[in-house]
Amino acid sequence: MVTLKLIVVGDSGVGKSSLLLRFTDDMFEPYLNPTIGVDFKVKKMVVDGNLVQLAIWDTAGQERFRTLTPSYYRGAQGVILVYDVTRKDTFAKLITWLNELEMYATRSNSVRMLVGNKIDKPDREVNKREGLQFARKHSMLFIETSAKTRDGVQCAFEEVVRKILQTPGLWDKDTQKCGVQLETAAHSEEDFCGGYCTLT
Amino acid sequence: MAADSEPESDVFEITDFTTASEWERFISKVEEVLNDWKLIGISSGKPLEKGVYTTGTWEEKSDKISFADFRFSITHHYLVQEASDKDGKEELVEDALPLSMQDLLCMNNDFPPRAHCLVRWYGLREFVIIAPASNHDAILSESKCNLLLSSISIALGNTGCQIPLFVQIHPKWRRMYVGECQGPGVRTDFEMVHLRKVPNQYTHLSGLLDIFKSKIGCPLTPLPPVSIAIRLTYILQDWQQYFWPQQPPDIDALVGGEVGGLEFGKLPFGACEDPISELHLATTWPHLTEGILVDNDVYSDLDPIQAPQWSVRVRKADNPQCLLGDFLTEFFKLCRRKESTDEILGRSTFEEDGKESADITHALSKLTEPAPVPIHRLSVTNMVHSAKKKIRKHRGVDESPLNNEVLSTILSFLFPDAAEKLTDGSETRPTTSRNNPPPESEEYNLYSQFKSAPSDSLTYKLALCLCMINFYHGGVKGVAHLWQEFVVEMRSRWEKNCLIPGLASGAPDLRCCLLHQKLQMLNCCIERKKARDEGKKAYTPDRSPSASSGDTGKAIDHSVGDYQKETEKEKGEVGKSWESWSDSEEEFFECLSDTEELKGNEQENGKKGGTKEGSKESANLKPEGRLHPHGKLTLLHPGEPLYIPITQEPAPMTEDLLEEQSEVLAKLGTSAEGAHLRARMQSACLLSDMESFKAANPGCCLEDFVRWYSPRDYIEEEVLDEKGNTVLKGELSARMKIPSNMWVEAWETAKPIPARRQRRLFDDTREAEKVLHYLAVQKPADLARHLLPCVIHAAVLKVKEEESLEDIPSVKKIIKQIISHSSKVLRFPNPEDKKLEEIIAHIMSAEATIARARSLKAKFGIDKCDQEEEKEDLERFVNCLVEQPEVSVIGAGRGAAGRIIHKLFVNAQTMTESSDEVAAMTTLDEEPKRSGSSDERRLNLGAVADFPPPAGRELILRTTVPRPAPYSKPLPQRMYSVITKEDFQLAGAFSADTTFF
Repeated sequence: MVTLKLIVVGDSGVGKSSLLLRFTDDMFEPYLNPTIGVDFKVKKMVVDGNLVQLAIWDTAGQERFRTLTPSYYRGAQGVILVYDVTRKDTFAKLITWLNELEMYATRSNSVRMLVGNKIDKPDREVNKREGLQFARKHSMLFIETSAKTRDGVQCAFEEVVRKILQTPGLWDKDTQKCGVQLETAAHSEEDFCGGYCTLT
Repeated sequence: MAADSEPESDVFEITDFTTASEWERFISKVEEVLNDWKLIGISSGKPLEKGVYTTGTWEEKSDKISFADFRFSITHHYLVQEASDKDGKEELVEDALPLSMQDLLCMNNDFPPRAHCLVRWYGLREFVIIAPASNHDAILSESKCNLLLSSISIALGNTGCQIPLFVQIHPKWRRMYVGECQGPGVRTDFEMVHLRKVPNQYTHLSGLLDIFKSKIGCPLTPLPPVSIAIRLTYILQDWQQYFWPQQPPDIDALVGGEVGGLEFGKLPFGACEDPISELHLATTWPHLTEGILVDNDVYSDLDPIQAPQWSVRVRKADNPQCLLGDFLTEFFKLCRRKESTDEILGRSTFEEDGKESADITHALSKLTEPAPVPIHRLSVTNMVHSAKKKIRKHRGVDESPLNNEVLSTILSFLFPDAAEKLTDGSETRPTTSRNNPPPESEEYNLYSQFKSAPSDSLTYKLALCLCMINFYHGGVKGVAHLWQEFVVEMRSRWEKNCLIPGLASGAPDLRCCLLHQKLQMLNCCIERKKARDEGKKAYTPDRSPSASSGDTGKAIDHSVGDYQKETEKEKGEVGKSWESWSDSEEEFFECLSDTEELKGNEQENGKKGGTKEGSKESANLKPEGRLHPHGKLTLLHPGEPLYIPITQEPAPMTEDLLEEQSEVLAKLGTSAEGAHLRARMQSACLLSDMESFKAANPGCCLEDFVRWYSPRDYIEEEVLDEKGNTVLKGELSARMKIPSNMWVEAWETAKPIPARRQRRLFDDTREAEKVLHYLAVQKPADLARHLLPCVIHAAVLKVKEEESLEDIPSVKKIIKQIISHSSKVLRFPNPEDKKLEEIIAHIMSAEATIARARSLKAKFGIDKCDQEEEKEDLERFVNCLVEQPEVSVIGAGRGAAGRIIHKLFVNAQTMTESSDEVAAMTTLDEEPKRSGSSDERRLNLGAVADFPPPAGRELILRTTVPRPAPYSKPLPQRMYSVITKEDFQLAGAFSADTTFF
């Protein structure tokens, strides 16, 4: 079984905990306690025939907690960056979050997904195209979800896991095959006899 | 041929294999392998392109077979070719010659720079070899050899395989192969001669032509012309006029004080010996026809200068001693040492040192404390050191691995602040990182890929120093000694509240190595302790309160600088309250004893009376610990400005602490209680902030707090009041209103206490002790493991720097690979030794390549070249020499490079001629006649001995004639010969018609 570490980040109140609750317990509560510090959930799932255990860290979005949470970015193979489609400001803040990730994430090749949440709400301020553009610009996966109606939630997590499994060297600790092979040239010299092996 | 064993008939006949001999079994094994490898049937392929043997890839596969109990390995060597196009198939004529036979005559790949000897001899693109499996076994007797030859003959006949099959006979080093190739109605025999000494008549073209012709035994007259390719190889070993420029660095110079500590920050580079040992010049006449030139025992037309093709290869010295590589290897060896510092330096040293330094520190601080003029603390550290040294001398403990000079040079390099005489007595801050923002270059950021440390950091410098010491100054002992001194310095800095230089301020950078994080952590502790102590010190009557508040404010929160203006009016209060600090109780962040607090309040109240705006009812709750107003926000109820409080900084964490913490948090599980407990565990910071907030904003409510802390949880709406005006009405978000919500709970428990009187969230004393202990118990091996990424980082930068001077594409590529490989390996904790060794090996190979390029550039005098164009050509030529096995010289002997090579040979010749002439002549007489000797003589006779006798003479003779009878099919014939000092080899491939003979 593969254990993967995911982290969910984004501004306060965009629905990070709700998204996670929907994914892990398939539940929805209109009002969840604002997260303090970090919270932690575990979920097992099967993706493309691989049994995967996900350890998902849910973080508080408040500015003040931000000094605390980056520590949890360490070693995360997947990052889920959430904004609220009904609040433009949470979308505008994405770039700050990305910078933070850049600063603290220890794996340069970690998989990043942008999630626009709360699409069930009527008063949308960020349309899908904007989200797509942002994701493309920063080479992320993109999906829109609603933790309330379940839309896209399962799919989002699955896709992140799939992408991680497809990224070489990200989840498999033995990276032997990934290493460069510089010696081949040196070896062949011994096997073959050059012009004047006997001479030289 | 006996093909009885093949059960091919459909008739129901009993075929008896019960008496099959070992020999038959062997043949069927061979056939089986050929079948498995699909080598059966008509071989097809495109005509060979020029040079494809060099540019293409060769592959091989092997299997094991045995003859009775004698084990053989059977190996298929082949040039990888793209799947031949379908149209090639159509051209296949039934009785076309097998591909290998056609290859015999192909001239496009004569003398490949690097190939299997059979390829070189016969020009084959694929072949199969059967050789004894063990290197010690050999087929020696003629009958065994014949038995094997018949076996392969039968196997080829039975299978219809058209690929030549060879048997290796005689000891392997002799490289003797005999073999056979079969096609429809044709057969080629591959035969060899290998002699120690060349029979005199065969040292030249005419003699070899005679052998070839007699071997073919062609009945036709006149004989069809024989095509000839000749290559003479000359070796240049004597580079006398170019002594190797690089000297090993002078160790004594480093010890001497005048060179300065700067040298410790650099890694050495380059080879200590010439990494190029020989130059081989091959002069080739690729296509001659018989009779065009004369080469016999009295005269030769083969003048190397006239040869139409020149190519050069260089022989690299095996593992030249290179400084950087040696440094790395030696440092890496440290990782395997088992000894602890104590064991290396003697058990008691460390303790005593600790005590000793503590005593002195004590003594010195007693001296310094009452001094009216504050002596700069760093000088104290220095004094401690010098004092210690003195004491050590007195005790006669002078066998310490590092002498004082080296040690002090290193220490002043590592801690430049100690050397600086700061007269203004201003704060020493980690200047490097704060004042000069590091360049955002890719190179600088390499540390985050390697998980090392920034190249201007203390950790990085320490790594380099340890590397240097390990190499030059006492090995592991020296390392242990310096480390011990380093730890002592760390402790003394902690005790003296003196920040460690060369570390970025703020929380430990998790992108760096753990040791770096630990040092940063220690710095955090020192910073806080210093802030606390200075706050206490500031309580001096003659000091103006504003100054002290400025200092302390900065220490608490760096962002305060931005808000200095806003805090101006507060300074009075803040300063006064801080007057009464005491750290007698370390439990508190910044603690006021109760009595002093009371006094402070009284003073405050007395002074301020009711002058301050604000409601009287909150007089008992005087605002405390304000940082600055939060925009224009006002409290909801009293309507006063909402102040952001001074808060406690969250505890800095190193990655190991973090690991521990997240483990604890994860262990709480995912249940509701677990989640609740987790939140509670992390709410300390929230609670502390709430308390600070309450203290700064008397009469505030949770809504006020939320507006600062989590503004989105305060929802404002425009509503019409009774008068019809739109007013903003706000309330907490629904989730904040959940009863028993932890925020509400925390708010209710929070008392109005300013940050400085709260319980400390971060116990700097404990954390610092933990770090110091951690440092003290690191063995030299641990240290080496911690710092290896830094050393590799430095080495890569060094190679990069040196490469940029030379511009060698292959090294650029290696560097890229090293970086990507290292960032994969080093990022994981405890990388495997094997992978680390690989990285080091790659760095070494890059270094050696650069050194080779430099050596060649010097030899070809590129710097002395005036003409721009010629210089460029030469540079290109030298770069090719470094990267390719063999480089052809444009313009042969007349080109720019050719002229230089010629000169090199001439110079070498004149040297040997003049000095060794007599000696050479005598040895000539003594020695029996050899290939070299006759050449030498001839050249000597010819007076122009520009070149030494050729070290190798290779000849390829080719023709197509009918064999064995005049009415047979004309078939390719080839003979290759090579004459070297110790060897004479003939390899012939003679084809014969098996139908018409």
